[in-house]
Amino acid sequence: MSTGAAARIEPGARPRRDTGLPRRLLDAVLSNTGARITSYLVFVLGWQILGGLYERVPGPVEVVQFLADEIGRGGVWDAFQVTLERFFAGVAIAFVAGVVIGLLMGMWPLARALLKDTTMVGLAIPAIIWALLTALWFGFSWKAPVLTVALTATPFVAINVTQGVQGTPRDLIRMSKAFGVSTHRRVRELVLPFIMDYVFTGLRFGIILGWNGVLLSEWFASTEGVGWRTRYWYDANNFDGFVAWIFLFVAFIVVFDRLVLSPIQRRVFRWRTTVAMR
Amino acid sequence: MANVALRRQGVRAPSLAARRWKQAAVVIVGWAAFFALWEFASSVLFNPYRLPGPVAVFEAMESIVTSGDAVKHFKASLGKIFLGFGFGVALGVPIGFLMGTTRYWKAFFHDPVLVAGSIPGITYAVLALVVFGIGIEGPIVAVALISMPYIALNVSAGLEGIDSSLIMMSRAFGRGRKDVLRHVLIPTITPFVFAGVRLSFALAWKVEALTEVFGSSDGIGFMIRRSYQLFSVVDVLAWTGLFVIFMLLLERVLVRLERHLFRWRPQEATA
Repeated sequence: MSTGAAARIEPGARPRRDTGLPRRLLDAVLSNTGARITSYLVFVLGWQILGGLYERVPGPVEVVQFLADEIGRGGVWDAFQVTLERFFAGVAIAFVAGVVIGLLMGMWPLARALLKDTTMVGLAIPAIIWALLTALWFGFSWKAPVLTVALTATPFVAINVTQGVQGTPRDLIRMSKAFGVSTHRRVRELVLPFIMDYVFTGLRFGIILGWNGVLLSEWFASTEGVGWRTRYWYDANNFDGFVAWIFLFVAFIVVFDRLVLSPIQRRVFRWRTTVAMR
Repeated sequence: MANVALRRQGVRAPSLAARRWKQAAVVIVGWAAFFALWEFASSVLFNPYRLPGPVAVFEAMESIVTSGDAVKHFKASLGKIFLGFGFGVALGVPIGFLMGTTRYWKAFFHDPVLVAGSIPGITYAVLALVVFGIGIEGPIVAVALISMPYIALNVSAGLEGIDSSLIMMSRAFGRGRKDVLRHVLIPTITPFVFAGVRLSFALAWKVEALTEVFGSSDGIGFMIRRSYQLFSVVDVLAWTGLFVIFMLLLERVLVRLERHLFRWRPQEATA
């Protein structure tokens, strides 16, 4: 009768929260972290099921095994080195070209009228078109992937810079003009700091879309690099290798975005909100 | 704003018509400069075989349109896009609903939805090729997967911003769950679903074409791939031109439709 006695001791009190192991386990599973971990587990499970349903899709175990082998062979690092060089060369070109075009369009209505439609067309052209055209123009060379990245990313940088410039406080610009501040100083000390987060937003878009571009270009016109390697295993009918490389290039851009791009953007954004609050 | 600037300079503001003419003239000059640059690149920098000039590309576009190929393949692609968006909405709305109403599901879907935005399009294209082979399923699934996170995020944001006093009032006046759903929840969510479709439209349209490049037997992407395999730069450019024109027009139609359908809402809510 001990259980009944325990229940009778404090009739008015609310039942104490059960802190036994099952309860704590349930709390942990239902917490935010638990939910996130569960979602990753569901993803791996879904992948495993997909691998079981379609014989051409390897499951996670096969892919991890293949990756271990491939890293042991030393092919992963070399391919990424080649692709990253091309990728960042293209991003650098897109950054410079995009900022120049964006500044022109933002500050000068005539330039905006002249270039706006061309930029809109550039935004609408998918990376695959540039990949195929550069393949037809330059054949198998480093020019095709670099240009594909540059041409894909430039309009996104340009349009964001334009929006940033157009959003700069008019009063400050007018005042600086009235006080005879030179154009050079006005750009450097007023326009540039303000548009920084627009630049980063554009650059982030450009980088994410440019990564797709470099992979496509290497798939169609290259004999080295990540895109080529993925195609190599596809052509060899080795789907373990194929999916393993897809996993690698998706993981790369996701991690790069989460660890490098988002924190930079957040920092720039924090600066802007504090200014706005003051 | 322009009037203020003009008055300050002591210039009489030109009439609206005159300003419109000037605007149009500059835009035309912009296009002329674009075509001139293209022609220059075609005949001087490269050669007309490697980069055909605008005239040759327009002729190719014309023959694609008059032969009926354009209608046939755009129809095929559009059908896949609409079906894909259908599935995207069917998946995205429930997920967005869960995310917008429950803490657990918000945490559960947080990472997948965020990660989905940075997955390169080639992933969908090549995986669709491997899983479905050559057919219509690949592009449809790709469009659904691309649009789903945008729709889910928009729906969840819409639900979080829902006017809770409206729900409380409905309860106070003894309205059942069904009435609340029909007259409060659904009208609130619909504009956000539409915004999700519009925001992901350009991306979905591009990935659809990309998936067709890799594995399809009709559609614009398939024709671009065929032109590429025939080493016909002029046809690649012609199909690209049609693709771009069509995409820009459709996007404009979507924006108009959105404004028209949801004109009863305050402006900032759909932005």
